[in-house]
Amino acid sequence: MSSRFFHGGDSDSDSSSSEEEELYEREQEAESEEESEEEEDESEDDDSSDDDDVPGTGASRFLKPTGGAADSDESDEDEGERVVKSAKNKRLEEIEQTIGKIENAQKNQDWSIISAEFDNLNRQVQKVIQQGGTPKMYIKTIADLEDLVTETNEKQKASGKKMNANNARGFNAMKQKIKKNNKEYITEVDKYRKDKDAFMESEDEEEEKVEEKPRKSQRQRIEALDAAIDDEGFATVGKGGRALVYTPESILKHLRSIIESRGKKNTDRQEQIRVMERLLEVANTAYQKVRVLLTIISTRFDVTTSSVQNYMSQEQWKAAQREFTLLLETLEANPWLVVIEGAEEWEDDDKHPPTDKVLKVPGSVVSLLERLDDELTRSLQQTDPHTAEYIERLSDEQALYDNIVRSSIYYETVGKKPEVGKQVDSLNRITIRRLEHIYFKPVQVVKILEERTWTTIPTNMDSDLTPRGKFIEVDPLVSTLCNFLFENSEGIIRARAMLCQIYFLALQDNFYRARDLALMSHLTENIASFDVSTQILFNRTLVQTGLCAFRAGLCYEAQGVLQEICGSGRQKELLAQGVMLQRYSTVTPEQERLERQRQLPFHMHINLELLECVYLTCSMLLEIPLLAQTGSSPDVRKRIISKTFRRMLEYAERQVFQGPPENTRDHVMQAAKALASGDWKKCQELISKIGIWDLLGNDKEKIKTMLAEQIQEEGLRTYLFTYAPYYDTLSITTLSGMFELDDKKIAAIVSKMISHEELAAALDQVNDAIVFRKGVELSRLQSQIVSLSEKAMGILESNEKVLETRTAGTVNAFQRDQGNRGGRGGGRGARGGIQGLARQGQGRRGGGQGFTGGVLSGAIRT
Amino acid sequence: MATTNGTAAPLEDATGEYVFLDQLIRRMDRHLIYPLLDHESHAENISPERAEDLRLATYNLLKNTNMVDFVSQLHKDIHKSQTAPAEFEKKKQDVLTKLAKYEEDTAHLSNLLADEAVTSQLRSDKVANLKFLEEQHGVTQQMVDALYDYGRFKYECGQYPDAADILYRFRVLSTDNDKVVKATWGKFVCEILSEEWEQALEEVDKVKEHIETRLFNNPRAQLTAREALVHYALFPFFNYEPARDKLTEMYFSPSFISSIQTACPWILRYLAAAVITNRARLNNSHTYQKQLKDLIRVVKQEVYEYQDPVTEFVKALYVDFDFEGAQKKLTEAEAVLQNDFFLGSSTDTFVESARHLISESYCKIHQRIDIKDLSTRLGLSDSEGEKWIVNLIRDTKVDAKIDYKAGTVVMNHPSQSVYQTVIEKTKGAFFRTQVLSAAVAK
Repeated sequence: MSSRFFHGGDSDSDSSSSEEEELYEREQEAESEEESEEEEDESEDDDSSDDDDVPGTGASRFLKPTGGAADSDESDEDEGERVVKSAKNKRLEEIEQTIGKIENAQKNQDWSIISAEFDNLNRQVQKVIQQGGTPKMYIKTIADLEDLVTETNEKQKASGKKMNANNARGFNAMKQKIKKNNKEYITEVDKYRKDKDAFMESEDEEEEKVEEKPRKSQRQRIEALDAAIDDEGFATVGKGGRALVYTPESILKHLRSIIESRGKKNTDRQEQIRVMERLLEVANTAYQKVRVLLTIISTRFDVTTSSVQNYMSQEQWKAAQREFTLLLETLEANPWLVVIEGAEEWEDDDKHPPTDKVLKVPGSVVSLLERLDDELTRSLQQTDPHTAEYIERLSDEQALYDNIVRSSIYYETVGKKPEVGKQVDSLNRITIRRLEHIYFKPVQVVKILEERTWTTIPTNMDSDLTPRGKFIEVDPLVSTLCNFLFENSEGIIRARAMLCQIYFLALQDNFYRARDLALMSHLTENIASFDVSTQILFNRTLVQTGLCAFRAGLCYEAQGVLQEICGSGRQKELLAQGVMLQRYSTVTPEQERLERQRQLPFHMHINLELLECVYLTCSMLLEIPLLAQTGSSPDVRKRIISKTFRRMLEYAERQVFQGPPENTRDHVMQAAKALASGDWKKCQELISKIGIWDLLGNDKEKIKTMLAEQIQEEGLRTYLFTYAPYYDTLSITTLSGMFELDDKKIAAIVSKMISHEELAAALDQVNDAIVFRKGVELSRLQSQIVSLSEKAMGILESNEKVLETRTAGTVNAFQRDQGNRGGRGGGRGARGGIQGLARQGQGRRGGGQGFTGGVLSGAIRT
Repeated sequence: MATTNGTAAPLEDATGEYVFLDQLIRRMDRHLIYPLLDHESHAENISPERAEDLRLATYNLLKNTNMVDFVSQLHKDIHKSQTAPAEFEKKKQDVLTKLAKYEEDTAHLSNLLADEAVTSQLRSDKVANLKFLEEQHGVTQQMVDALYDYGRFKYECGQYPDAADILYRFRVLSTDNDKVVKATWGKFVCEILSEEWEQALEEVDKVKEHIETRLFNNPRAQLTAREALVHYALFPFFNYEPARDKLTEMYFSPSFISSIQTACPWILRYLAAAVITNRARLNNSHTYQKQLKDLIRVVKQEVYEYQDPVTEFVKALYVDFDFEGAQKKLTEAEAVLQNDFFLGSSTDTFVESARHLISESYCKIHQRIDIKDLSTRLGLSDSEGEKWIVNLIRDTKVDAKIDYKAGTVVMNHPSQSVYQTVIEKTKGAFFRTQVLSAAVAK
């Protein structure tokens, strides 16, 4: 017994513990030998009845497990004395058994069994190999197997006979497995093939050695360790206390084993990273370095995927970023090395590949870069934006941007090599990343970013697309990048490039160019078919265009563009700037998690309060005169520009007590009220008091003046609409005194109203007055009749339409209407959004109503 | 049909007209530019530098064509020398020999096509025709292609009617779609240059059809083709009265108007001028109102991109309701129009119509107008103004009376009564219902 105890300590921990268990059980057994049989019945009773108080009684707890084991142990004992075997020998025996099975199956040509047993065998052998040395018989088996496989394969081809399905499946699996497997043991297999007998003879000695090995005393082993330490000064201790010595020759082997363990359970990635860091120090050729770097970076990313934390820690990220830079540097310094997707692996670990021709290494710089970018975004999402940490993290963007530019240069140079060919796809992906780092930033920031980047890039390198020093200004830079993508890419990348450019133009106050591009892109029609993040970008672009229109003083356009996003009341969600808590939400946790992942980092946000303020102000300027105009007639609710605004206004009116305005919304609502009652000065004052205008920076004053003017004009219009029925004539001079506008301006506004038939009046040039026409005001009955007649015509029209669809437009009598409908307005207006800006003036008003709940809604439901 | 910019750098460009011309020329065919330049150089009070400049431009424009004699003449003028360099002589010989060669190449086919007996046997099926000619008369594909080259060569020589004829024949026979399209464009230009407007209009239709159907999948090519067509079509537009309506309609069709807005907003000047001058002929009809509305909308939308006196006039009158501004712009526009190649002849009609428009919209808005004020506004003397107003009242059938003593015109704007509106609205209802029920009964 004691010797076995001693021995157990020597073997690896797994087996020792299991053996200990065995021992323990055995001891138990010895003690309870006599009792066990009686107890068995009882314990079964216990099982059913005493489930609750299992932890209570000590005895029963002991007995229960032993009860099961007792049987087998007893039978063991019945067989006779136990053969004591070392763990290793036991394994070897198992292997032998398996091999036996395989050989039997080989005779029967039963491939499904062979395949299953082969897997078994490999598992067993793996354990043995860990303790050192590949068993000879294993080599023999796999060599024989491979021969058999090729033989069978040829036979099959020759005879054309088919195996049964099960067998064939096993065979195919085997064919692949054996090839892959044998690569690892290629040297041994070769040796075996060369001289079968000699190889097998040596087996015996080998086996003896194997048996000896575990018996090596611990002292010896420590000595060996010491030796290793002396060599290098320090050593890494591998499994089982062996020193892992890293030499340049073994790098690739280590890498291989690490790559194999990827994705498996219980691999310690941190440990692997440490190993690879060591390997990197040891690596002395560029090829090795590149290989190690490629693996270490992706392993670093793996750590995040598997760990609880859902973003990469800063130091890990930085390390990955450093290594990425190193990778680029190495590749730049060694132009014969090309990292490329889908390349053939260099199989020979021992031989170093030739350096005189281009060697393709499998890997993808662009994917690593994208991952790096994504990780930064993810960590920014998780960080509280109001802390210093966020700022610090944000500063890492510079490094990332350097890498982006540098990789694009790398791909450009690589693309020039005839062996490799143009890397259009990768270049596109990098370019869009680059674009997405700059499109939403103010020009000054981008300038700094660019400048710094070029200082980090060695002076002998230059980009074809964006040559050094050529793009001092950001505008041409952005348009160059975009044009490149327009030409070379398609689908999502192209759409994103377009959106980025529109966004950028809008940010630079180029409203018309942004609008024209947006209209020409035709993205409104098919944006729903893009992925969610592109839809978010689309929404952002839409909003930015709207804000730009507002800054340019185009309230009408601004309102039209913003309507779809702001009218929905789900701005946060649509812009991915926060998750909305919906009262009756049916959002599953999974969807919520996805939504959280989509959130934009804080520095990309568009200020929602400003957005709301702009939207409400524009709505006010349009809605109040409209309300005044339609106020007196019975069919009031016909035209509604902004439902949201109306609802808010109604709510504000219902309130019994009105306090001084507190937030933006209060301000606008009270201003709207003032405007409606003709008190434009108060309206102006209230609007200009809104604090959020400060965010507009230098434009603030300009915009306030613009708003003041608009308020004056709209105030005049509202006044005229409201009070026209009570006047016969109105002097223009009086009006100009009231609204502080000059006579000419007032005359122009009134002329416009008269000409558009909004106002039943005429100007008297001699007296400088507005003469209101009499008898225009309809009585209640009259206006009812008018609306009745309209409705009757509406019914007729819809009847015709129904018939038209039924008869598929064959009835010629309706051609006339068709022409009107198809021509313009109508159908086009229903889409809203950017179409709101569309040149088709008529269709526009209907736009808002056709709103279907935002672009995102579809995505969330799926 | 390559188009190049033939003008040299513009001299001091006070009115922006040179830039305008430049934009226009960039989209024109080489041969079409010549009339424009020619017109420029015949303008009154032209500065010597400008004349020189234009001559040089003409020379550069034409030196690659086969009109050797004319070019050598120009060369002499520019260099003030009596003799032209020898290269011209050589080139002339070249051209003549080539011409002879082409003629020879195509002689067989031309003879065949001139033969009544042969042509009577041709059908509408091109492939069958070609087969027939091949079997019966030994016509090969090369011969047909030679016809195209010949036509092109003739065109380069400036013999447009001949070229048009040859290209027409080619088109009848060829099955090569690309070349047929090119031939169509070529024939179009030839017809313009030989001032065969009816034919030219036919070609416009053909080209348009090609743009809509063949280039359906290529928006970019569609845009450029439309752009070219819009420019080329200016020639028949303003030189051939019957074409006016048709082309206005074409320019206003949704696809063309958006092409104009996107690629060449300067065309708006011509469109505006055309619409305004159309007034006299269409006499305030429904179409005219619609055109005017469309025009105002487009002009308003393009204000940020393109403005010239003509569009500014429209904007002042209909967008800003600034009558004084409109008057001012009208004077400017008059000057511009007089110097314009296309619009020069219709300047007077334009001014007349524009005045009408001003007063019409002025009367619509005002109830009582001071005659003096209106006269100055229209740029007329008092008595002329009075006459003008009387004419206006008669023409436009506005309900107005002149109060001679006070020197005013009093407009009477009868408002439409409610009953009238209801009747208007439900006018067609009965008929439509009948049609509907008849359709259902079927």
